[in-house]
This record gives sequence, structure tokens and C-alpha cells, in this order.
Amino acid sequence: MTVALETRRRASVASLLDHAAGEPTRPALVCGARRLTYDELAEQVDTLAAGLAATGAAPGDAIALVAEGPDFVLGFLGILRAGAVALPLNPAFKPAEVAFCLREARARGALVDRARRLPLEVPAIGIAQALAAGRSAHCIPAPVDPAADAVFQYSAGATGRPKRVPRTHAQLTAEAAAFVAAAELTPADSILCVLPLFHAYGLGCCMLAALGSGATLLFVEHPRPFALDRRRVLALLERATVFPAVPFQLRMLAEAPGGAHLARLRACFSAATALSRADFDAFERAFGVPPRQLYGCTEAGVVTVNMDPDPHSTAGSVGTPVPGVELGVVDRDGAPADAGRLGEITIRSEAMTHGYAGVAADVNDAAFPGGAFLTGDRGRVDECGRLILTGRRKRLIDVKGDKVDPVEVEDVLAVHPRVRDVVVVGAASPEAGEELVKAVVVADRCGERELIRFCRERLADYKAPRIVEFRDEIPRSADGEVLRKYLV
Amino acid sequence: MSVMTDLQEFILEEITPGRAIIAIGPDDDLLAHGIIDSLGVTQLVDFVCDRYGVTVGTEDLVPGNFHNVRAIEALIARKRRAPC
Repeated sequence: MTVALETRRRASVASLLDHAAGEPTRPALVCGARRLTYDELAEQVDTLAAGLAATGAAPGDAIALVAEGPDFVLGFLGILRAGAVALPLNPAFKPAEVAFCLREARARGALVDRARRLPLEVPAIGIAQALAAGRSAHCIPAPVDPAADAVFQYSAGATGRPKRVPRTHAQLTAEAAAFVAAAELTPADSILCVLPLFHAYGLGCCMLAALGSGATLLFVEHPRPFALDRRRVLALLERATVFPAVPFQLRMLAEAPGGAHLARLRACFSAATALSRADFDAFERAFGVPPRQLYGCTEAGVVTVNMDPDPHSTAGSVGTPVPGVELGVVDRDGAPADAGRLGEITIRSEAMTHGYAGVAADVNDAAFPGGAFLTGDRGRVDECGRLILTGRRKRLIDVKGDKVDPVEVEDVLAVHPRVRDVVVVGAASPEAGEELVKAVVVADRCGERELIRFCRERLADYKAPRIVEFRDEIPRSADGEVLRKYLV
Repeated sequence: MSVMTDLQEFILEEITPGRAIIAIGPDDDLLAHGIIDSLGVTQLVDFVCDRYGVTVGTEDLVPGNFHNVRAIEALIARKRRAPC
């Protein structure tokens, strides 16, 4: 039987699907020949939720989600509709990383789009299997409390090891509403999604943006490495009106042979790392659309977006706060900086987490002093309220838009039996504007390849060092602090 | 060592550790099976350029040149024949 729809309460994430109410045939998800209207998506979400409930998922349970494309959206909403908490995992994670997340978040199960090589230590169910269970189920998931947790993601914060970031239904719907308003998204928009949805950027600016506006999400069918997929991406971009991407992707598209006529594209967003003026110019020259930078984080979702009427003179700015966000700039002592002065960026936002989970109270006191999130990013706010970032989280290494926490890589190398000391830093890549992971080690009788292989067996590929440099000692200051400037 | 074997060894040793892949055939689809991702493409390009002294430009980054080991071998052969 089809599970009866019960009254949805506003401010649960699944309630965003109410956009479909008036226009049942509006496409929600399009991926090759697969098309789901908002009505069909809503129905499948309810069925999936019933199937998850029937197979043991209880409200409040953390359910890992390993899925891509339309299945991610369906799986995410199904988990939330069942009152459970989605724990999206990067499919590129290695067993040790998956195990860390599952244990730390105390996941009770996993929902997967297809058979995957990931060894999951919890009972796993396929989306098709859960849908089948839902069709014969007689349970109707209870309404979801908007104050309940909806998602767990991991963030390194400004420094340190990955910390769990819980965000509630109300926080996610607040982010959706804020970005939809700021970017002026409407049901007529088509958003091309080439970002991973398990990251905050893709989650907010693709999935929540579409659900919050009733726009259509377009996906590349069976995506290949981005550099090789440019023709297909450009063909889809000819149908898209909105395109959130990272600078690497914008550069690759601008350099693509053959070009494209992107007549419908009205907004292209760039985030995750700074967009250089050269990349801004190259993309605009190739396609006639100036990319607009935005700024966000796992803790608060999208924070600012540059929708300035003059995108050229403001190209270096990540824009003004989206509705519901209050930006601050503080000095080293945590006191508000004078207007226009450089300092560390702080955020207060309706969409922001209440704090990291599973950490000592003093960690949250330090990261959220007085309730404002201390981002670790440096910048200033100009006289028009625009944020200009001058230093991203220095301790994180940016590999083509993926953030690598050096501490996590150091932890892996430190347990190698021949490594006596290690520091991991970002180094300039031969490819202009790119960074790569470099490990500086003090080690006995072992080679570069052995250490890289050791990391690749334990860490997602993008986190593994590309270069290992051997030294007799790691330069440290008198108080033991690593002198990184001598290592880069 | 043939170019083919060299490429197979490079992929197995440098790109796939930790992924339980023990062999790669000349015609195995590296893209459809997710054997190489964006980072893997970059590594392969770096390897091909360093090892064989050829230049792989952005115009060469198309699926037809990287979908299997045989195609990469053919790309290297074409590049070696091309005038500098």
C-alpha cells in the first residue's frame, strides 16, 4: 500500500516538498532519462521513510547515507522523514574513516544507493530495498520536531581533528530560505549539481536551494572525473540557470575545447576556496557570466553571497550576509574590531549549529564564544557591508575544493613504525593555483612511496600526501611550536 | 617494461591502494568502475608527462584518452610521434 500522507509541519526539511502541492508535474530531480516530479519525490520520500521505520530505524537514530545524485536527495529526505538523523559519508572514504564516523556518531544503520566496497559495521539497506519495504509497511512516521537533529556532518573547525556538527531541521530550512531569498531562486530555475552533496556547500546550495525554491536539480548521469566530463557538463549547463561550483571546475570549463552557449545561465557561484581574478575573467570571457563568490561553512551553511549589481569591481568579495546571518569581525582578544579593520570572522545565524557534538564543553566555549561561531577565517567588512576574506583557514589544505585537515594526515603517519616525527603542510602544486598535501617526516629507512601508500590505505585519496620530504628534524620554536614557514 | 605494463603498475601502486583492486586489464573501463577520480586523472597526467617526456594539454582531457589503459598508451604514442 502507499503510505498515507499525514499533515507535514512547516520547518521540517521534508515539508519543503510542499512546493509540489500546486504543481504536481514540476520536475524536482533530473538525471539522464530519470525524472522525478516534486509529487513523485514526496511520495517516494514517504515510502522510503516507512520502509526505514519498518526495518528498524527509530526517531533520533543516526543513519549513515552513502549515495550520489538523485538517490542522495531521496535517501537524505527519507531518513529525515523517518525522524532519524542523516550521516552523509563521502563514498571515497577508506574503511578507517568510515569506521571513525560510524562509531563517533553511534550510527544505527546505513542506507546505500548501490553495492559499494565500503565495509559498513552497521546493518546496511539499499534504497530500492527500503522502498520495497515501505510499500508493504503499515507504519506512518510521526511528525518531525523542527528542533530535532536532521544531519550530522564533520568539520575540522578552525583547527584540530574532525568534530561532529549536528544541525536541526529548523536550521536547515532556515538556510534554505535564506539562500533562496539571497540568490532570488524561483521554481523556474534549474540548478546544475556537480558538487558532492555530503559537503555543506552542495547540501546547501544545490539540494536545499532546490527544495527551498521548488527549482529543478539537474545531475550528470554516471559522473566521471570532472576534467574528463566537461563536454557533458557544458551540455547540461546549456539547460541550467544556476551553477554552484568550485574554482577548479570553473577553470576547467573555461579551458574546455569547443566552448558552449550558456544562454540560460544567470548565476554561477564559486566557493570552497578563493576564486582568483584570472579564473573569474576566464570564465566570464568564455561564457559571458561573471562567477559570484559565496562563503559558507559546515557549522552554518551558506553565510554570505555576492549578488552585487557590479560583479566586476566586487569580484574579490564573497558578498553580504544572507538573511538571518549576522557577521562580526573580532581582534586577537576577541573584541570587536574597528569598522573596516582586519580580524577573525564570527557568525551568528539561525541556520547555525548549536555546537559540536561529542566534545568537551570547553571546546564549544572556545569555538562559539558568547554564541557566535569563531570561524578561523580572516577578513574585513567594507563600507557597504561586503565581506572580503584575506586568509582562509590556514591550517586546512585545499585540494581542488576538498579540504584536508593536516592533523588527520599527521595522525595516520605518526603510527607508521618507521616515522619518528611528522608535520603535514600545503604546498604549491605545479598546476597554477592548486595546492597539494606535503608530508615532512623524520623517519628511519623508509621511502616516499611506502609512506604515501600507507596513507592511501587509510585515508581518502585526496587526503594522502603527494610529496614526502625527509628531514633530520622538524624545525620547532623554543616552546615546541612547529615553524611551518620553514616547511612550505 | 612495456608502456602498458608501466601504466598498469603505476595505477595499481599509486592510485588504487586501499581499494582492494588487484589487477587492471588493458580494456578495463577506468572511469565506469571509478578506478580513477579527478585526483587520479591529475596523477596520471603528471606521470605520463614525467615518465615519457610528452605534454598533455587541457585539450587532451577527454574520456576517450583515459577510459582504459590501452587508450592512455595510444595517447602517449600519438604524443611521442607529434612534432615538438
